[in-house]
Amino acid sequence: MEYQELIGSRRSIRFFDPKRPVEREKVQKILEACLIASCAVNAHWLRAIVVNRDDIPKAELEKMKTPVQALVVELAPVHIYFYADLGVVNRIKGSRLKELVDAGALNPTHGWSHKFVDELVFPQLLKPFTMLPNYPSMAAFDCGVAACQGLLMAFELGLGACLTAFVAPIVNEHTKPPEDWMPLYVMNVGYSLESPEAGGQRPRPPFEEQYFLGQYGKPFPRDPKVVEELKQSKLLQTPAPLPGRKEEVRQLARKLNLPM
Amino acid sequence: METAGRQIEHCESVRTWRKGLIEQWGGDPLAEEPEKLVALERFCAFIGEDPDTIVKRCFRIRKEDGERVVSVKWRAHYAEKIKEFRDRSNDPDSRRSTADVLSFLIHNGVLLQV
Repeated sequence: MEYQELIGSRRSIRFFDPKRPVEREKVQKILEACLIASCAVNAHWLRAIVVNRDDIPKAELEKMKTPVQALVVELAPVHIYFYADLGVVNRIKGSRLKELVDAGALNPTHGWSHKFVDELVFPQLLKPFTMLPNYPSMAAFDCGVAACQGLLMAFELGLGACLTAFVAPIVNEHTKPPEDWMPLYVMNVGYSLESPEAGGQRPRPPFEEQYFLGQYGKPFPRDPKVVEELKQSKLLQTPAPLPGRKEEVRQLARKLNLPM
Repeated sequence: METAGRQIEHCESVRTWRKGLIEQWGGDPLAEEPEKLVALERFCAFIGEDPDTIVKRCFRIRKEDGERVVSVKWRAHYAEKIKEFRDRSNDPDSRRSTADVLSFLIHNGVLLQV
């Protein structure tokens, strides 16, 4: 699928075929897409633990459910639990930045050298950075970038996916992450039972309310010609609800014995 | 069976359910699929309570501010009862019946996990 259409076609899928397993290689491709994401200081905070739903004892799976994600967690055959490894910066001590220097990505043209990393960047910038109150949120932002690539990859591979919160104290009993991993979200993955349009592109707030030019309060002007181009490229698609969506959901409810 | 479900049809919570279904799906699903009412009636008989009582018990008034909030205790109670209903039912379509009971609760603002 073309890139713009892929972004435009992604939906949070909430109806999965519970009996159709996801191929291991597709899960790997999702993770590979996460790994090559843009990442501040090459730290790679994002960690993932892949859990096959059917490997979770039924009683434990029940405990992992919350009212709003219970069904998604139950239907999706694969759960990818995302964490931010908050200890990584102080463990690697700038070594991955030096890898970027060696790889020619960071160059003296921009002030980079091994000595610069060892004597200034790590001790004077990165180490103190990890003590800032907003350090976890910065790390989480970075993880979001990476997880988004994995999310799009899932759709590229013909899968459906939906990010939801998870009950970390309970899930962690199963996944057993190190103590300094901060729980983020779980990507629920499976084959979608919804139509590819899944009812149409979901409602979004007005563009001008979200984005600004120069300063807050001055909306970034939305050029209708650009909007038209994006409709042609299928990044912008027919908004939900598409005709027939209710009937589609009703049929899914019947098929899966869900409340209507 | 034709009159099944009629006894509870006039309960306020059942009227709320009907209204919710109509708004959500169009038509009159309770009239079109009378087995939904039958399922609820069977559940009510199973636990010996009427629909309005079930919904009423799922909420409580918080002492501190007078807000109407979900009663965790009663929600858990009914979730267990619904599981028992699903697992003990001889109805081969018990999962569908369970879904109908859950639908009744959802349209009355009660989301239960079973």
